[in-house]
Amino acid sequence: MVASKKPTEVRIAGGKLPPIPLPTNCPGCGVGLDHEELRRHTYVCECGHHFRLGGDAWIALIADRGSWKERYGDVRSHDLLNWKVPKPYQETLEQLRDEGLNEAVRTGTCTLGGRAVWLAVFDFRFVGGTLSIVAGERLARGMEQAAASGLPYVLVSASGGARMQEGVLALMQMAKVNAAVGRLDAARVPFFSVLTDPTFGGTAASLALLADINIAEPGAAIGFTGPRVIKQATYADLPAGFQSADFQLARGQVDMVVARPELRRLLAHLLEIYP
Amino acid sequence: MTRHGRRPEETTLTVWQVVELARHPDRPYSLDYIRRMAPDFIELHGDRLSGDDPALAGGIGTWHGRTTMFLGHQKGRSLKERVARNWGMMHPEGYRKAIRLAQHAAKFNFPIVCLIDTPGAYPGAGAEERGIAAAIARAIMEWFRIPVPIVAAVIGEGGSGGALGMGVADRVIMLENSIYSVASPEAAASIVWRDNTRKVEAAEQLQLTSRDLLAMGVVEEVVTEPEGSARADYEATAIALDEALQRHLLQLLAQPTEELLQHRYERFRYIDSLIRAEPQFGPKI
Ligand SMILES: [Zn+2]
Repeated sequence: MVASKKPTEVRIAGGKLPPIPLPTNCPGCGVGLDHEELRRHTYVCECGHHFRLGGDAWIALIADRGSWKERYGDVRSHDLLNWKVPKPYQETLEQLRDEGLNEAVRTGTCTLGGRAVWLAVFDFRFVGGTLSIVAGERLARGMEQAAASGLPYVLVSASGGARMQEGVLALMQMAKVNAAVGRLDAARVPFFSVLTDPTFGGTAASLALLADINIAEPGAAIGFTGPRVIKQATYADLPAGFQSADFQLARGQVDMVVARPELRRLLAHLLEIYP
Repeated sequence: MTRHGRRPEETTLTVWQVVELARHPDRPYSLDYIRRMAPDFIELHGDRLSGDDPALAGGIGTWHGRTTMFLGHQKGRSLKERVARNWGMMHPEGYRKAIRLAQHAAKFNFPIVCLIDTPGAYPGAGAEERGIAAAIARAIMEWFRIPVPIVAAVIGEGGSGGALGMGVADRVIMLENSIYSVASPEAAASIVWRDNTRKVEAAEQLQLTSRDLLAMGVVEEVVTEPEGSARADYEATAIALDEALQRHLLQLLAQPTEELLQHRYERFRYIDSLIRAEPQFGPKI
């Protein structure tokens, strides 16, 4: 008899989540929020509402404490198209950097439950988590490294799509990263994708939905065209829950919808049972 | 210099005039070119999963003595045909059909010609319900594995991810008065100002003309259009497009498959290399 494998106990703790700006009351249930309590519960309210996390929080949540080694953090964006509207793109970039944010995608290596992995996290606070040249470059380099070394690849997405201020070169990043996903695939390196709220446009239509296992957060909106544009273009009445994680589960686009407090244990277990 | 005796950079058109030419209802569409390039063209249909997408025409024909797979967005000329063709906006079935036909071409070692002319993928509920994001994503990834030469041309509108889903090729060229953009001018205006009537300003900011893309290194060549643009002379435009695509294809046919696929990977992997070559201008990568 083969002993059945029980879901892994994650013995190595993740890092402590950073504080994030929160409303006074939960938009899900209206109850007043205890920020420290919420932080201990990975910013998920008792009602199930998942608050959006930045890249730093995702790294803390997924990486074993002290294991994160950031890579390619010195690759930085510049204003390529002399973009001036509604304000100069260079100013936007500098302002975000002054706030301590380093692009819409950060990547590096870490361990998760003791297993070494490549990790890439989107940050919606940086120009809506948009796919830029630097984001594409960091993703492609990490995937090429993962394909060469055999380390599993874990992605957390939160993105509005391709970054308009970098024009057609941002669009081309979809091809750049998907070519690299093909390399990962050919090398038979496990690729696990966590889709969080929101994942749209050029990010949903490139790497986020191409993983071996697609995992959505409860309540995350996932799709190609946003609901506002669909309504404008087609005058359609969109039903409640359109493009939600459950909608994508029912339509066959994601393998599972997993609550954030369960995510680390699930990923650690997957890393144990995939070669 | 081209047969028309005019260099593409000698334009006096505004950006918005180029956008209007690219979208002009009398502009030649994919089938106008394909039927001239391969008069024996046979259209093939269906994704073999659930449907056929009329926004994408696909099929085989003899081109310079070689059986070739042709794929192209088709906008439709009359109102009835425009509705049937959905203005060249593909649904998920279209991207699945494209890859089905590309694999068919690979099986028989036929080269592939892709003609791009779409405002974008269809922004409707049905497309979302049937997985448009994943369909485009998978198509883009699969194009990198198709082991035959692929030459692509933007002949009108290259709209966003819907265009890129048909635009992974070994060579990508553009007709002079075509556009290729991360977002339509209307969408960009709506994002920047929440006002899509400011599309002219947005178009100027986006850098979406063939000359812009050539300068950025995103396309290999700009094919000059006749005096009065492509719509003034379908025949001459088709000859110029045919000549350019064939010239690129002949270079590709000489490459061993492994080298072809490696170069296709590198073409997109380092597509921002011109920007990188000028560190005072682009990102320091
Ligand atoms: Zn709540």
